[in-house]
Amino acid sequence: MSETTLFKVALALYACALAIYLIYQFIYQFRTKEKLGLAGWSAALLGLLAHTAALIHRTVASGHAPFTNMYESLSFLAWACLAAYLVIDRVFKIPRAGFLFLIVVLALMLLANSPLMPKEITPLVPALQSYWLWLHVSITLLGEAFFAVAFITSLMCLAAASREKKGGQPSGLSAEKLDAISYRCVAVGFPLFTLGGLVLGMVWAYKAWGTYWSWDPKEVWSLITWFIFALYLHTRLVMGWKGKRSAVIVIIGFLLALFTYFGVNYLLAGLHSYA
Amino acid sequence: MIQSILRFLSSVKLAITLIIIIVVVSVLGTLIPQERSVGEYYGRYGGLAPLLMRLQLTNLYHSAWYIALLALLTLNTVTCTLTRLSPKLRKTFRPRLEAEAKTLLAVKDSDSLKMNSNLEVTAAAVRQALAGRRYKARQRAEGGGIIIFGRKKVLGWFGSDIVHLGLLVILAGAIISSLTGFRTFLKLEKGKAQAVPRAGFVVRLDRFDTDYYPDRHNVKDWKSRLTVIEAGRDVRSEVIEVNRPLAHRGFVLYQSSYVQEIKSSLIVLEVLSSASPERAQTVSLRPGQSVALDKTGLTLSLLRFEPDFVRDNGGLISSRSEELNNPAAQVTLSRAGENLVSGWVFARFPEFSMTHGSKASDTKVIFRDIQPGISPDFSIIEAAQDKGVPLIWVGCGLLMTGLCIAFYWPTREVRFLLEGKKDKTVVTAAALGSKNREALSSEFAGLWKELKDQT
Repeated sequence: MSETTLFKVALALYACALAIYLIYQFIYQFRTKEKLGLAGWSAALLGLLAHTAALIHRTVASGHAPFTNMYESLSFLAWACLAAYLVIDRVFKIPRAGFLFLIVVLALMLLANSPLMPKEITPLVPALQSYWLWLHVSITLLGEAFFAVAFITSLMCLAAASREKKGGQPSGLSAEKLDAISYRCVAVGFPLFTLGGLVLGMVWAYKAWGTYWSWDPKEVWSLITWFIFALYLHTRLVMGWKGKRSAVIVIIGFLLALFTYFGVNYLLAGLHSYA
Repeated sequence: MIQSILRFLSSVKLAITLIIIIVVVSVLGTLIPQERSVGEYYGRYGGLAPLLMRLQLTNLYHSAWYIALLALLTLNTVTCTLTRLSPKLRKTFRPRLEAEAKTLLAVKDSDSLKMNSNLEVTAAAVRQALAGRRYKARQRAEGGGIIIFGRKKVLGWFGSDIVHLGLLVILAGAIISSLTGFRTFLKLEKGKAQAVPRAGFVVRLDRFDTDYYPDRHNVKDWKSRLTVIEAGRDVRSEVIEVNRPLAHRGFVLYQSSYVQEIKSSLIVLEVLSSASPERAQTVSLRPGQSVALDKTGLTLSLLRFEPDFVRDNGGLISSRSEELNNPAAQVTLSRAGENLVSGWVFARFPEFSMTHGSKASDTKVIFRDIQPGISPDFSIIEAAQDKGVPLIWVGCGLLMTGLCIAFYWPTREVRFLLEGKKDKTVVTAAALGSKNREALSSEFAGLWKELKDQT
């Protein structure tokens, strides 16, 4: 099967998973709900396998890492996000987040698939020919994927908190539990983002450009994102912030990470112009 | 007074305020292009330009006030870490073994039970249960009872301190880099040697190759074979490329760029005859070369090439710049030594030419294209000396180690209060730990079950 076919198969399976998770939102019978949760997870996993095959296919065909242009890196980010979600869902059982999460994943996939993103394989410029490309980009995007899960659970935490305040019946997880899950996602994402985005980025910059830090817009925005999550950790662990306030910081942090990844390329010029 | 200044400097609230200010200011720095010319700022921001420049927003990251903000955050980190460190060290090495049943039972994971063994036997059982779970126990007799603290992964308390230490080391490295760092560019010509400034050695470019992808258009790699010469002797010889620099005596040499001398470019010319269009022929030439056109028996010579053609009032022809603004070629078309056409043709204006010659007026020379030479003439090597770099890597190592410890090596503590009641003992215990409570709860439950089974 060609890469495009595999990509479309993955897209279709993700859409299936989204539909299942949508139905999940409206079912109240416990046993059926449990089965639907499992079905949604399985469909997403099958989609992930097809997506993995598509990425491997592209890597073999191009001879380089599958994240050297916007199409490739969006596709890889969608893959990483879904992988992160599937892991977190296994551990904490949050099928309610599946619906929102698959919207994010599908949006990334559709954006990758849109005509805006050139899909042809282009030869790699000398600066990108390095194993640091693999390490720097994959670990950073994986970190951002966990931020994405934290973002969704934080949104749900905000919704749950306002529901609980009104004295409404908690449907699904409590705000407290969602807050804890969100923290655990940041606890995975933050070290990964630090390692991939900042540390390995500095190592590679030193190897390729001769300087580990050059105040390039992408570097500055990574640092800003890192600072916001550091703020989240300090307010939480030292000052005891929880729930709504913590959730708001995570949401801001994720939006900043998204801008670092996406906005900087289109809106601000700099050394990272190829990525 | 000093106390309150210290309290202000070491507060987390200051850290948070500073982080927010630094974030907002840094965003501004990415929105305003940095370190451009004065003219560009006037063109972009008009009357606002002088204000932006006065506020140093145009060179923000090197401005005194941005550095002052970073310095303040550093000072804050240092004082905050230090003031929290000494209680932590005391807690680690000289813990006060104190426990009250009431406070212990207020903890989430806590319980109390009566054991059918005397105080000493029970204490031994508790110690054994702790040791089985790799807890290190400390014990103290108090009044009629015994207090036991079991602990493991004590390093976990210091994860955040290691992170902060790492950040400080990185910052120290950055200061050394900015104060002592030195970088320069060398324009090396094939076969020639040049001294690296301040380095005390000389480098010679032996070869400079450009590898192309199979499409023959996109560059795959630039490789420079460099030889390091010290005191007139070749010391080492290595190929460097992008992403693979050469380090020698504290200096690192990077493949940075290349220079293509425009005058050695290959010029593509087409010879057209309006009388016999089928005899049109395209050839590529370098300045000074001639070629016989087999279809017409004519000889085409490329005498001169100017990338940015200009003719002054005296009729003198030259290039205004090295840019390809108005590429022009001086050509002659001859048969048996007799010039039929001669003059200048232009790449930008194929219909226009400055040629003369009457005998073959139906024959035209058209400037079709410029192809850069196959291999560039100069390799640009960046030589950098940065003594801060080792500290940066040490700092990064500490930072990552600290993060892993802070998140994934949580300290656990179980406190026991044993009170002897004749030959029986009341055991009260609580498990403390700030992170990963679920695992701690289940461990405490297991420990409790083990003790319960012994009664």
